[in-house]
Amino acid sequence: MKTRMFILAAALAFAGATAGQTTLNVVTAGDQNMVDYVNNYLAPKFEAMNPGVKVRAVGTGPGDGGSQKIYEKLSAQQKAGSNEWDVDVAVIHQLASATMVKEKLLMPYRNDVSVGKLVSRDTAKNALGADVDGYVMPMFHSQIVFAYNPDLVKAPPKSFVELNDWVKKNPKQFGYNGVKGGMSGVGFVTGWVSAYSGMGDKLEKGPYDASAAPAIDKALSGLKEFNQYVVMTPGNAGTLDMLNRGEIAMGPVWVDMFYTWQADGRMSPKIKLVLPSPGLPGQPMYYVIPAKAAHAQLAKKFIELAESPEVQADGIIKQFNWYPGIDPQYVQPKLDQAAWNKLFTDISPADLSKYGRPFPLSPYFKDIVEGYERVVLK
Amino acid sequence: MTAPMGIFRGRGVALALIAPALAVVGLFFVAPLVMSGVVAFRGKGGEFTLEHFRKSFDYYTTDLLFTLAIVLLSTLLIGLVAIAIAGYLTLGGHPRTVAVLRWLYRWPLFIPFVVAGQLMRTFLAKNGMLNHVLIGSGLIEPLSAQSLLDWRGIVVAFVWKQAPFVTLLLAGAMAAVESQHIEAARNLGARRLRVLVDIVLPQVRGTLLVGLVLSFVTMLSVLSVPLMINPNSPTMVTVDVAYRISTHGDYPVANALCLLSLALAAIGAVFYLRHAAAQVEGK
Repeated sequence: MKTRMFILAAALAFAGATAGQTTLNVVTAGDQNMVDYVNNYLAPKFEAMNPGVKVRAVGTGPGDGGSQKIYEKLSAQQKAGSNEWDVDVAVIHQLASATMVKEKLLMPYRNDVSVGKLVSRDTAKNALGADVDGYVMPMFHSQIVFAYNPDLVKAPPKSFVELNDWVKKNPKQFGYNGVKGGMSGVGFVTGWVSAYSGMGDKLEKGPYDASAAPAIDKALSGLKEFNQYVVMTPGNAGTLDMLNRGEIAMGPVWVDMFYTWQADGRMSPKIKLVLPSPGLPGQPMYYVIPAKAAHAQLAKKFIELAESPEVQADGIIKQFNWYPGIDPQYVQPKLDQAAWNKLFTDISPADLSKYGRPFPLSPYFKDIVEGYERVVLK
Repeated sequence: MTAPMGIFRGRGVALALIAPALAVVGLFFVAPLVMSGVVAFRGKGGEFTLEHFRKSFDYYTTDLLFTLAIVLLSTLLIGLVAIAIAGYLTLGGHPRTVAVLRWLYRWPLFIPFVVAGQLMRTFLAKNGMLNHVLIGSGLIEPLSAQSLLDWRGIVVAFVWKQAPFVTLLLAGAMAAVESQHIEAARNLGARRLRVLVDIVLPQVRGTLLVGLVLSFVTMLSVLSVPLMINPNSPTMVTVDVAYRISTHGDYPVANALCLLSLALAAIGAVFYLRHAAAQVEGK
């Protein structure tokens, strides 16, 4: 982690030293594919449109930990009273965005950019219960779904209740990665709690009520029993690996990772997806501009490009298999039918809007993952 | 008049010479350690609290014990493997085998832990390479193949990675043992194993201990291997530390866990210091 910070600092220092041209520093949380997306896809387009500008992308690592590092960096510059922060555009997760808006680390910009009105989903205004309206624009949405091997599972369970019966009839065929091995496991756990605590809406919309803890613990104790019939996998990629090797027949995965692996030939084309009732969570990543970004105007132009229907169609959907960050109705006309269908083969847009849920509010989220350690793991 | 000045000047030079090293140690080791201690004992309002330790024990006692058990078992196995390899390198009768072994055993030394973890992840999986080989050679039935990606996987990765390091130290020490001792024992009819256990090992015990203590401490701090092989419960404390920080931004509990693993490492340090002290006294 320290190494990462060092590389980040070194890269930014180097970027600053490059004379004669403006460098736009884009710092992104998430896996390497996020850095690749900016460096290989967005940067050349943006540099061609803006001569003399160089885009430099740096990654801070996967998961909320990656966003946490961006938060720590900006917070340090804020506390140091610095007037020009060395991050122009950041790509962060929901949890961090709530904190960063609250601590005034971000600049409201959505009303200043032409693409601001193309976003329609609730996540552009609300991040895990926090009001982030105006400060963020979703770069993409991703969704956790069950992937299953149709050779082994003829009729996949359509709900958490069916799944619970299914694992008892087919022990050690379902695998997930707990809460310490990546978000697909965490999402499965919060989905389980939404389904079995009977308070799905309350978890997502609030208000937070600490007295709900017993209901959460009760749902988790059911998960403890469920866990006896399943396999624990090592991480998001671990679940995909085990599915592909036929070691498990079903498990929760990120839809974009799944399609990317299939496109790369790392995942059997036979494996299919299903989104169970009452739903699994998904989340966007946000484009944000730090409150004192050195090149705020340029940053806005960069986001205008990144959120344009053309880039959303070709980059976000076609190349990276994410769901678009802006309203799909603006994106569909820019995309050929085959590419559009591919994204919605197993999971229809209707299912997605019905069963694609947000993660619980952050205090509930904390109660659930800590409850998992307390109730399920002990 | 000149003599005291000279001494003063000499001391000044000496201090100046060690200042950079001291500064590095102070800045990068002592200061973070003190800060870690402060954060681990500080409550929300800045008051002294044991709350973070209470939480650490409440949530992670199993993981602390698991970590200790894994690392102790790995240390034991590393010792056995290192003695076997170093013993053969010293006493082996077949020069070509010795040469091949000498060339081969060092390889894992140059492979980082994270790569070792990645290798094991595909090697030890249920349908991984190891089981394929075992099934292919008829040693096990396909149905009885099981995944070793749990505590066993972590132990295998640790032993594979650290045994060569201890072997390297041990083989060097064994080579320095007076060959007359070995020859005398052999002349009196002692078998090789007996020479190894009764003649060579007692003379290199100190080196073996140092190598094992260093491995013990190294393994306690490895995050990548448990993260890649078995990040689920029970897992090693390093995974919990990373998890507290990256998911909860919870530095106090993470620091409390760090101090607890420091306490585990201190067990190794005690052995190390006692050995070092004994050596100084011996001289």
